[in-house]
Amino acid sequence: MRRERASGVIAAVSAVALTILLLSSGTVYAAEVVTTQELIDDMARYDGQEVTITGEVVGDLMRRGDFGWITVNDDPYSIKSIEEGGSHKGVSNVGIGIWAPLSELDDIQILGSYKNKGDIVRVTGTFNRVCHEHGGDTDIHASSVMVLQQGYAISHPFDYRLLVVVLILAGIVVTLWNIRIRRVRRTLRKE
Amino acid sequence: MILRPSREDVKLIGWGTGRVILGVGLIMTIPLITATLSAEWNTVLDFLVGILACAAFWLLTEIYCRTEKDLTWFHGLIVASGGWLMAMLFGAIPSFLSGHYQSFLDACFDLMSGYTTTGLYLLQDLDHVSHGLNMWRHLLTYAGGQGIIVIALTFLFSGTAGAFKIYASEGKEEKLLPNVIATARAIWMISLTYLVVGSLFIWIFLLAEGMPAARGGLHSVWLFMGAWSTGGFAPQSLNLLYYHSLWIELATMVIFIIGSFNFALHYAVWTGNRREIYRNIEIRSFAATAILGTFMLSVGFGKMGLFTSLTEFFRKGFYNLISGHTTTGNATVYSASFLREFGPIAMFAVILCMAIGASACSTGGGFKGLRMGVIFRYFRSEIRRLASPESAVVREKVHHIRDVWIDDPLVKGTMFIVICYVIIYVLGTSLGILYGYDPSVALFDAVSAGSNTGLSAGLTGPLMPALMKVYYIFAMWAGRLEFVSIIALLSFGGAIVRGQGARRKRR
Repeated sequence: MRRERASGVIAAVSAVALTILLLSSGTVYAAEVVTTQELIDDMARYDGQEVTITGEVVGDLMRRGDFGWITVNDDPYSIKSIEEGGSHKGVSNVGIGIWAPLSELDDIQILGSYKNKGDIVRVTGTFNRVCHEHGGDTDIHASSVMVLQQGYAISHPFDYRLLVVVLILAGIVVTLWNIRIRRVRRTLRKE
Repeated sequence: MILRPSREDVKLIGWGTGRVILGVGLIMTIPLITATLSAEWNTVLDFLVGILACAAFWLLTEIYCRTEKDLTWFHGLIVASGGWLMAMLFGAIPSFLSGHYQSFLDACFDLMSGYTTTGLYLLQDLDHVSHGLNMWRHLLTYAGGQGIIVIALTFLFSGTAGAFKIYASEGKEEKLLPNVIATARAIWMISLTYLVVGSLFIWIFLLAEGMPAARGGLHSVWLFMGAWSTGGFAPQSLNLLYYHSLWIELATMVIFIIGSFNFALHYAVWTGNRREIYRNIEIRSFAATAILGTFMLSVGFGKMGLFTSLTEFFRKGFYNLISGHTTTGNATVYSASFLREFGPIAMFAVILCMAIGASACSTGGGFKGLRMGVIFRYFRSEIRRLASPESAVVREKVHHIRDVWIDDPLVKGTMFIVICYVIIYVLGTSLGILYGYDPSVALFDAVSAGSNTGLSAGLTGPLMPALMKVYYIFAMWAGRLEFVSIIALLSFGGAIVRGQGARRKRR
């Protein structure tokens, strides 16, 4: 009985502590969790609001003074890219530019590309339909960028079947070349 | 009576097409080298397959289609139009092998889009493609902008009289130099010089904007190719929005405006005739329609009230308007923004500018400034004629390198091409509406495809119906070649099916 009461108290204290924690870090947890597609489809609704997106960092980290730009994609390829053997989802990439202090971007190590799967990050910040600071860009000014999962090198096993195709085609080209040379010589001899 | 093409006709066309495909194979060596230097070995294999397939086709045509006869106008038209289709099929091989396309049709779509400097694409997961494939995409637009036939003429044809016939069949009527091969080489000289200078400027700006030197180097070349050719491809899926840079936008804008000018104008200015810039009807026409478009854009943005500063107007409005007008397709906004953030008036301004397009004998598409100038002057002369006494002789001329008097055949020819463009715009829009797309989105993308622009309001994508993909391929191809070659190819096909045999006719 006493043990049950004690565990009840611990649960209540934990709930209160968690609530205090959530309220104190309101900028992080009060933000609406969205996808970039949702932002693009309804920019007016999210304009100026705190949002949280989770996705893969791709391309480059472009440093501008104490801040920097990254691009975060949260399309299906950010989970498994075509280079990793992911299937075609019938969509192009969907991503958004993130403007953040360099201190928030320090943890980003790997950027998504042909050879790499980029770090997966959770970004929280203000969504701007038309950012007046950046010439009207649609972007997110991040207050927090957290690396959830480290990126890695994508392995590209050598395609031996395609090598066989190359060799067969090379054989055909050499044969045709010889036939052509023979024909040209025959024509020259006739002339 | 329609004559069935003779065996010699087919041989000649096959021989010419083989040369064009060899040209495509030669271009593939550049992405092959890029992939090798980047240690992308599977991409190397993709391009080796493409190159060898092109070489095999060329050798087959050399063996079985060799003939002593020279090309006539008809053959030239067929080689130009058919050559583009064959180039699409062969060029799609390495793209399809990359695995980034859902079907071979999608790869063909992107190839035609690249060759015709349109810029629409169905490639999936662009942000993870290899350097080799990215080089291929951008090189396509650069090569296609000069004209695939121009490439073939530059390297692969000797100075035959027939060479001019296939040159002119690619939608280019002007000879910069007396010899057409020399003209083709002059076009390449102009383009390569700009490539070096333009890429260097973009690279410096990219370094200043925080890009690493090596990637900045590749991006600068690709951005230049996309802008100069008015193709509008970019190496990242966010297109120009990826860079968040006024300087990159300024540089690419200058490049695509210069790239959209007529090659004859470039040559005239290069050879010291600077007055031509102010006198040329295409520059005047472009300036007038750009001002009209800017006015409409201002009204539209004023009503929406979203883009409030001059910088925003320039970077989001004017940039995309001029990108559309030069039929480039580089964008600094999301596709959906044309419908939602631009509003109907500004969106219509972009559509109008895309439909009008750039200069004749340039890398651009659309009606072309020259034709708009001819039509405008013709209307003006008709109004003046009606307002003048019956005995008065009213004549108008346009200045394009030299003065050209406007007469009925010129106006008829001009109107024919303009009406053809209107038809492909209307057909594309109707098809989009029939498939249930928003009419304004259907109109936007149909005009974009037909005028070889490449901006999209969101319709074009891998999930669009296959019939629309095929139609867009046709629209891009027909728009780029300005219809005459296409009509010749269709009549050639008709003649094979329905024509009377030449032997029977002789009898």
